[in-house]
Amino acid sequence: MDNQTRVKPPAASPFFSLFRSQTGYLILVIITVTIIATIMNPRFLSARNIFNIMQQISVLGILTMCMALLMISGNLDISIGNMAGLVGMLFTRMVLTGRSQGIAVITVMILSTALGLINGLIISKSKTTPLIITLGMSYVYYGIALIISNGRPQSLGGEFEFLGRAKIGPVPITIIIYILVFILAYLFRKYSTYGRRVNAIGGNKEAAFLSGINVDSHIISLYGISGMVTGLAGLVLISRLGMVRADSGSNYALQALAAAIIGGITFEGGRGSLVGAFLGVLLLGIMYNAMNIIGVSSYMQTIFLGSVIVIATVISNIGKLKKQ
Amino acid sequence: MALDQFCFELSPGEVHCLIGENGAGKSTFIKILSGVYSPDSGELIIENKRYERLTTQLARGMGIYTVYQDDVLVPQISVAENIYLGSKDMKKKIFMNYRTVYENAETLARHYGIALDVKELYGNLNPADQQFTKILKALAQSPRILVLDEPTQVFNVTETDIILNIVRKVSETGTGVVYIAHDLDEIIRVASRITILRDGKKVAAYDGVIEELDSSILAKDMVGRPVELFYKKKKHNIGEIGLEVKNLMLGSTSTPIDFSVRKGEILGIAGLKGSGRSAIARAIFGAINRYSGQILYDGIDITPKNPIEAVGHGLAYLTEDKKADGLFLSMPVYQNITIVGLSSFHRFLIKMKSERDISNDYIGRMNIKTADPNQEVQYLSGGNQQKVVIAKWLFKNAKILIVDEPTHGIDVNAKTEVYDLFTELAAEGKSIIMISSEMPEIISMSDRVIVIRKCEISRELSGDEITEYNILAGYLGGTNS
Repeated sequence: MDNQTRVKPPAASPFFSLFRSQTGYLILVIITVTIIATIMNPRFLSARNIFNIMQQISVLGILTMCMALLMISGNLDISIGNMAGLVGMLFTRMVLTGRSQGIAVITVMILSTALGLINGLIISKSKTTPLIITLGMSYVYYGIALIISNGRPQSLGGEFEFLGRAKIGPVPITIIIYILVFILAYLFRKYSTYGRRVNAIGGNKEAAFLSGINVDSHIISLYGISGMVTGLAGLVLISRLGMVRADSGSNYALQALAAAIIGGITFEGGRGSLVGAFLGVLLLGIMYNAMNIIGVSSYMQTIFLGSVIVIATVISNIGKLKKQ
Repeated sequence: MALDQFCFELSPGEVHCLIGENGAGKSTFIKILSGVYSPDSGELIIENKRYERLTTQLARGMGIYTVYQDDVLVPQISVAENIYLGSKDMKKKIFMNYRTVYENAETLARHYGIALDVKELYGNLNPADQQFTKILKALAQSPRILVLDEPTQVFNVTETDIILNIVRKVSETGTGVVYIAHDLDEIIRVASRITILRDGKKVAAYDGVIEELDSSILAKDMVGRPVELFYKKKKHNIGEIGLEVKNLMLGSTSTPIDFSVRKGEILGIAGLKGSGRSAIARAIFGAINRYSGQILYDGIDITPKNPIEAVGHGLAYLTEDKKADGLFLSMPVYQNITIVGLSSFHRFLIKMKSERDISNDYIGRMNIKTADPNQEVQYLSGGNQQKVVIAKWLFKNAKILIVDEPTHGIDVNAKTEVYDLFTELAAEGKSIIMISSEMPEIISMSDRVIVIRKCEISRELSGDEITEYNILAGYLGGTNS
C-alpha cells in the first residue's frame, strides 16, 4: 500500500556526512584542484591571484544566484545572459549619447526588472515551460542589442570604471558586490517568509496552491527580482570590460545553469543550497584560472569544463540512484 | 488481506456483476484475472485448464480483456488508432493502412450502436466518448471474457443505456462479462448473476432471481461488520451553525447542493470514489470553478474565489492524496508544519527560534514520530505524514476543516490517533467535514452524514439513522425507504 516508509540513511559522523552532500564533494574537489594547481605553479595561491579569480567569476556568480533561486522555485531563466548583455549595451549607448551615468543606471535597472517581470508573467499566466519561453526571450534581447548597437561593438571609452575596477582597500568592489548579493540571497532564502514560500512552490506547486499561497504572484515577483539583479550583473559586466557587444552576455546563462547544477541544485526544485551554488561558481572559476596558469590550451579548457559539468551532474544523482 | 477464500464462476454468455464498497476486493480480483497480480494461493480454471497464476500476456492470449476505471489512452492520436494500438493484427505490421483502420473502427462502433467520429483525436473527446473508446478497444479484440470496472461512472442515463446494450450484445455472442458497478438499477437490468464482496470475502450471491432484488436486500448483505472496527467517540456538545453551503452547483446541469455544519460538529460525507465528493470539497475551497453557490460562515458570505481567500476565512482542506498535493516532500517536517501560518511570525521574516519551538510543540503534542524536526517529511510513515498535514492547518488556526479520506493508507494505531485528534478539535468548537468511503469511520465519527451519489446528496442521516445499511442504500440509489 502507500504507507511505506522510506528508510532514512543511518546517521554518520559529521566528517563522513560531509561527503554525503554535494557541498561536501565540492569542497573536496576545490581543495584538490587548489593543491594540484599550487604544486604546478605556486603563484596560484597568491592573494593577487585569488582576488583575480573572484573578480573573474563575479558576473557569473551574481547571475548564478538568480538562476539558483529560480531553480529552487521550480523555474528557470535562460535569458539572463543576454538580458545582462542588453543592459550593458543600453547603458553604453545612453552614456555615449550624452545621458548622465546616474540616469542610465536607473533606467537600465528599471528595464531589467521589467523584463524579468514580463518573463514571470508570461510563464505563470500561460502555464508554459520556462525553458522555451526564456530561450525565446533571450533571442529577443540579443536582437534588440544588435539593433541599438547596429551590430558594432560599443566602447565606453574609459568611463564608468567604478564598479569593475575600483577597490576598497585591497578588495575590488566587484568582489564586494558579488559577496553581498550572495549573502542577501542566502538570508532571503533562509529567513524570509517569501523565500520559504518560493521554496515550497518549487517543492509542490499544487500543495502550495491548496495551502493558500499565491503561487503566481510569488513566481512573477521572483522573476522580477532576478531581472533586477541581472541588471546589476550587466552593469558590473560593462564596467569590467569597458566595452560591450550584443553577445557579451550570451554564454552566461548556460554557465550559471551549469554552476547551479554543479552546486547540487536540481531542475525539480524545492531544495538546494545557495552555498552549493556559490561553490559551484568558485569551482568553475578556479578550474579556468588553474588551467590558464598551468598553460592548458583554451581548446582543451572547453572540453575539460564540459566534462566537469557532466561528471558533477552524474555525482549529484548518485544518491537518488542508490535509493531506487 | 485483499481477498480471502474467494470463489468466482463465469459461464459463457453470462453477465456476472460484482458489488462491494471501495476496498472490498473487487479490483484485486479483476487484476488477478487479468494477470496483473498473482494470488498467494488458489487456482484459476479457464476452459478446463488449470493455472496457478496468469500473466498479462497469458490473459490476453486467452481473450481476457479488462477495461479499467483509470485506463489511459493516447490523447494525441485518433480514436481509431487508439482502438487498434497494440492489437494482435497491428503488431505484425510495419506500416499502418489508415484507411483500413478507420473503416474497421467505424464498423465496430456502428455494430455496437455508438455514434463516434473515429478520426477525432482521443484527447478532444468528452469523458463519455473516451469511455466508449476504451470499451471499443477491448471489443476490437473479440474478447472471450470482458471485464468492465465501473464503466458507467461518467455517464448520464442515455449513455448508460448504450453501455448496457453493448454488454447484452457481447454476451449474446458467448462472451462472459464481469461487470463491476454501484448502481442498483443498472445491475438489475444487466446481470444474470450477482456476487457481493465485503472485506475480501464473498458474502452473498444471487442467481436467476435478479428482478426481485431491491437496494434494501443488497444493502443488508453488505452490512455486518465486527464491532471492533468501530471507534468509540466521546460525546460533546455541539454549538450553533458555522459553515453553510448554499445552492452549490459544479456544472450548469448538476443538482444544487445545500448543507450546513455546526460548530463542534463532525459532518460525514459518505461517497464512493468518483461520486463527486472531492470535487465538492474543492469547489467549497475555491480550488476549482463553481457554476454557482454561496459559502457562509456565521451567516456572513465568505464564498472564496480561490484557496488564498478560503484559507484567509479559516477554511482548511486536507486532500485525499497528501503526497501529491498536501505535503512538501523535499522540505523538513518543521517547515511543513509552519508553511501555511508563516506570516504569524512576522509579515516578512521568519523567527527561527520560535518556529523551532512551535513545531517541536506540535511534534510532541500530536505524537509525530520523526527522528529530527529537520528530517524531510517524505521519510515519515503515512500516519505521521497525515499528522503533519493536520498540524499545518492547526498552526494556521483553521476553524473549518475539510478532510478528504483522512485515514486512507495509514495503520490502525495512527487511525485511532487521528480520530482522537478530530474529536478533540470538534470539542474545541471547530467544524469538521469528513469525506470518507470507509464505512466504520463515517459511522463512528460523524454526528450527521450526507451520502453523495453522482454529485448529488442522495440521503441525509443523523443519530440512529447513521447505519451501514442506510449509507449503502444511499450509494446504490434506487427507491428511498
